[in-house]
Amino acid sequence: MIQHPGILALLLASGLVSLLLMAAGWQGLRILRGWDLHSGSEGQLDLERRTYLVSTLVANALVIQILSLFLFIFTADGLHTQFVGAMCAAGSLAADPFGYPTLLAKIATCLLAGVWLILHRADTQGYDYPLIRPKYVLLLALVPLVLTETWLQARYLMGLKADVMTSCCGSLFGQGRQGFAAELAGLPHQIMQPVFWITFVALLVAGLVLVRRRRGAALFSLLSLAFLLVSVASLISFFCLYIYELPTHHCPFCLLQREYWFVGYPLYGTLLAGAISGLGVGVLAPFSARDSLKGILPRMQARLAWVALGMAALFTLIVGIWMLLSPLKL
Amino acid sequence: MIELIEVMKTYQAGLATPFTAVDRVSLTIPDARLTVLKGPSGSGKTTLLTLIGCMARPTSGRIHLHGLPAGTLPALQAGDSVEITSLPERFLTTIRRRTFGFIFQQFNLVRGISVLENVLLPTYPMGLDHQEVEGRAVQRLEGLGLARLIRSSVDRLSGGEAQRVAIARALINDPAVIIADEPTAHLDSRLSEDFMELMGEFRAAGKTLLITSHDPIVYGSPLADLVVEMRDGQIVAGA
Repeated sequence: MIQHPGILALLLASGLVSLLLMAAGWQGLRILRGWDLHSGSEGQLDLERRTYLVSTLVANALVIQILSLFLFIFTADGLHTQFVGAMCAAGSLAADPFGYPTLLAKIATCLLAGVWLILHRADTQGYDYPLIRPKYVLLLALVPLVLTETWLQARYLMGLKADVMTSCCGSLFGQGRQGFAAELAGLPHQIMQPVFWITFVALLVAGLVLVRRRRGAALFSLLSLAFLLVSVASLISFFCLYIYELPTHHCPFCLLQREYWFVGYPLYGTLLAGAISGLGVGVLAPFSARDSLKGILPRMQARLAWVALGMAALFTLIVGIWMLLSPLKL
Repeated sequence: MIELIEVMKTYQAGLATPFTAVDRVSLTIPDARLTVLKGPSGSGKTTLLTLIGCMARPTSGRIHLHGLPAGTLPALQAGDSVEITSLPERFLTTIRRRTFGFIFQQFNLVRGISVLENVLLPTYPMGLDHQEVEGRAVQRLEGLGLARLIRSSVDRLSGGEAQRVAIARALINDPAVIIADEPTAHLDSRLSEDFMELMGEFRAAGKTLLITSHDPIVYGSPLADLVVEMRDGQIVAGA
């Protein structure tokens, strides 16, 4: 294991979040089994008091969980100098077989944690715990995912050894190579450009319909997720070529480095925030008829839709400006 | 209307020396009436008052507030009911501020500031227009015969004056329910009768009044619509 402040912080944070979520998961099981707001029993009143505390702790733990994704990427990028052949986080993640699975697990938990926070926020707007059951069902789904991610991350970070030979990003994300990353890099920009713009426009239209007519929440959610996936694929396929000003460099991790003004952080940040907000719109949709949330959820969905649209627009603005100003023309 | 169903409050529950202050109390407190909880010290009157006034939570049981005005809580319509023992703290705070006015046994006025500032204190968290609430406070103090003391420090007030300031403070947010805990404990008979007269005026104005007392001037008053006797945490008569 390499002694690095980022590694220690990540292990500590994941350990704490896992412990908290396990305790909260146990509470969730008690709630799902015994919650009855009509009962005035001692057990029910005890559950009501506990859920307030537990939800607050989980909310804070999940904020840490979301932030840890960025710390993980930052740490992986900072560690690349330790490995032979690595040029950025892509090489660090490839230095151990658990690297990329950890990244994918962290992205998945980040999205679900964000959705849980939205559900929690909506639940606290109603005076009678209107979303307590869905909130804890989602939490119970999150617990094994976070535990898996903690285990993967521990295997990865503790298994890292300095000076091992690894692949550089040019080889991982090079056209004509084997693997999923190389296939993404090989997606032709003539196809990906229209796909990206069509998805963006579709998201805008769905968002405006949702805000003005309060319809199409599920479609908007799906399009938000699609926009995240298409944007990442487009970033690898052609956007990053404009940023690097190189027609053959498709690495999605070099964007995180100083020489590219750390533009990867706002790009990935906007994509994730937009996807979480967009998913939140759809997740809240089935509950908008609940008495204590009438009038509250539609407003919240509209705000989330605006955030999702704003984030998508910001992402598009950043890459669009780069496309316009880059000397590279595809 | 306030409806209590099997309400119980146990202090130190789960420890070696649990103490049940309120024991399975069921009670209906009617609107726009004066209800008195009477009983000796330690009978659970004050604990019950704190549970109804959202200042403490019961160990078990439920308390329903019926016929709330619109906007008391988000998404609540006029006349709706709400069960307060399950409410998360931030909603409890809202109910406490908008629905209840409290008159404490020790008056609990904040020393070192004026009568007017004391009366205005409950309005600050509401974010209301200062001039408007100040006008309302002055009017209320004048109505209680305290016009000349508005700018005086509360440190210089007599017992009766301090209590009237406490009453003005309890009324400043125009609550539907006024809760008073042993309000005549520090007053002589004449001031106690004056206090009951005031309560009669509030009842006539449509306020629901809930008073704990073991003073015969209070529970023996013809103004008391319902007298509930408590002993050892239980209702023994009147419910």
